[in-house]
Amino acid sequence: MSHITTERANELFWLGRYAERVYTTVNEFSSGFDRMIDESSDSHQEYCRRVNIPDVYADKDDFLSRYPFDDSIPDSIISNLIRAYDNAVVLRDDIGSDTLAYVQMAVYDMRKAAIGKAPLVGLLKVIDDLYAFWGCLDDSMASQSERSIVKTGRRVERVDLYLRFGIPEDRIQHELNRLETRIRLTGLKYDVSAIGKIREMVSAGDRRGAVILIESFIDV
Amino acid sequence: MDDLFKQTETVNGLLARYGVKFGIYKDGVFKEQLFPFDPIPRVITKKEFEYLERGLAQRVDALNHFLADVYGEKRIIKDGVIPEEFVFSSSGYLRECEGIVPPKGIHSHISGIDLVQAKDGTWYVLEDNLRVPSGASYPLIARDLTRKSSPDTFRHNHVEDNRDYADLLKQTMDNVNTGGINVVLTPGRYNAAYFEHSYLAEKTGSVLVTGQNLTVEDNVVYYIDYKGNKLKVGVVYRRISDEYMDPLEFVEESLIGVPHIMAAYRAGNVALINAPGNGIADDKGIYYFVPKMIRYYLNEEPILNNAPTYLPFYEEDRKFVLENFDRLVIKDVAEAGGYGVVFGSKLSPEQKGSLIELIKNEPRRFIAQEVIDFKDLDILEKEGRVFRKADLRAFVLTGSKTMVWKSGLTRFSRNPDSFIVNSSQGGGFKDTWVLSR
Repeated sequence: MSHITTERANELFWLGRYAERVYTTVNEFSSGFDRMIDESSDSHQEYCRRVNIPDVYADKDDFLSRYPFDDSIPDSIISNLIRAYDNAVVLRDDIGSDTLAYVQMAVYDMRKAAIGKAPLVGLLKVIDDLYAFWGCLDDSMASQSERSIVKTGRRVERVDLYLRFGIPEDRIQHELNRLETRIRLTGLKYDVSAIGKIREMVSAGDRRGAVILIESFIDV
Repeated sequence: MDDLFKQTETVNGLLARYGVKFGIYKDGVFKEQLFPFDPIPRVITKKEFEYLERGLAQRVDALNHFLADVYGEKRIIKDGVIPEEFVFSSSGYLRECEGIVPPKGIHSHISGIDLVQAKDGTWYVLEDNLRVPSGASYPLIARDLTRKSSPDTFRHNHVEDNRDYADLLKQTMDNVNTGGINVVLTPGRYNAAYFEHSYLAEKTGSVLVTGQNLTVEDNVVYYIDYKGNKLKVGVVYRRISDEYMDPLEFVEESLIGVPHIMAAYRAGNVALINAPGNGIADDKGIYYFVPKMIRYYLNEEPILNNAPTYLPFYEEDRKFVLENFDRLVIKDVAEAGGYGVVFGSKLSPEQKGSLIELIKNEPRRFIAQEVIDFKDLDILEKEGRVFRKADLRAFVLTGSKTMVWKSGLTRFSRNPDSFIVNSSQGGGFKDTWVLSR
């Protein structure tokens, strides 16, 4: 169906954002987990500061066990995954049952990873589910504009997180290129000059300003 | 079929994967839970189904005649077949629907007829659900998943493919479409049957909408997309109750309905599936009169049996009910979902006394039925095969002709001492196989 309401457009956009947030934060967490195995200091504090989430964790070990899996913490990875699911479940008729099933499986796999002895291995399954979700969405969602809304959400979230995580400029510029191509296909209203401004801000080192602009330039 | 039983875990895993759930409110909190699936199907032979098919189509045709009549000429009342006060005292009768002729004259497009089979093999109709009958999606998706899990089972058993339900539903919608898109109107995610709403929308290629997504202008229903385009809506498969459909005509506080949708419907500009006002025909009291309707409208003898039923509304029946209270099941006509059903034999003396007083004071509110000793079906539990009470909800779709879906929802009680099979009360479900030869 190529005609969707504003509410649906919003759900598609946020499905993309939350799915990407889980993907990128799981990857970032996995690298951080590996580093923290050898560290004694509470380096999780730096992570919380960068992502702009409250540091509600007692120490590094508390962070490692609760940040991915504790759904009572609003900024945990699983809470973001549940938000992705909450958006996906109301979109079954748009994205299809097969695509929705991969988000559902990601939730199950995240719960399983929480009780496993090797959480990073469990999280790999979540990443697999997300890859499958994106592939299935690409393959089965007929409407280009609707598909592009989800993917625009994904690109916006990726640029946002890359800016926060201090990812090198060339990778951010690459993601901005992908965003610029994709957003044109959505039919969404947005500030056409914003992506150019974000590029300049990134080049000038103003990542804080770029984060503010990336989060506000689309009307959805 | 042993292979299918071995795949129980696989099938349940797939049902979880596809989010086959129903919602339930417990202590005011909404929870989604999986609908327990039992792999042993109910099997209906080809011959038995042909009998049921004739009986169900006959029954639904008569009920559609009744609905057209009761909101039109009222011949059945004038001819004294059904007492006038019996119709107009029903909470299912909606004065707002008087004189409305729905597109193609069809009132009940999707009818869910609940049946049980007695130990001697006789089928009895227990209830007609003509408002918003739910449940078809469960055997529909279960069949797809069981075929994936155990292809050999279906290679060796000749079972009618039930996966045409979405096609039948789409035909039913298209048949009455007044020009425009097909939509499925849901109260939203926190409705018990939300899985079904979204799944059927997906499978029929309809747009899933909430009341807020629709607007009515000049008696025409529109859906407005995010680019501001207005699309005319030709048919609304509504999954919300009559009283919440239109706050301007029914419950004013309703936030899930569509203001002015009844005016658009009255003007013939949109079809509502099922038609508002159908509650009069699935009133548990009106049920008593269905065999009479069949004779009256179709001039045929009823093919399917009603469970023996008594109406305390009639003095003679009331006397019988009070004298035989302990062997009857008493149903409150205002309740649904397995609530308001009590077995006379299971009440304490105080409870019995209170209910008898209620029956005397509000006789129209109750019906009494003989307890049918219905056939138990076997289900797989951890300890092996056990027998439980089960019913069958058959789905009858009325489009250009009346079609009986070659399947159905078999619900069973998980409690060995209970006759209540509803999912809201912990029941599970089975697939229903209709053999093709």
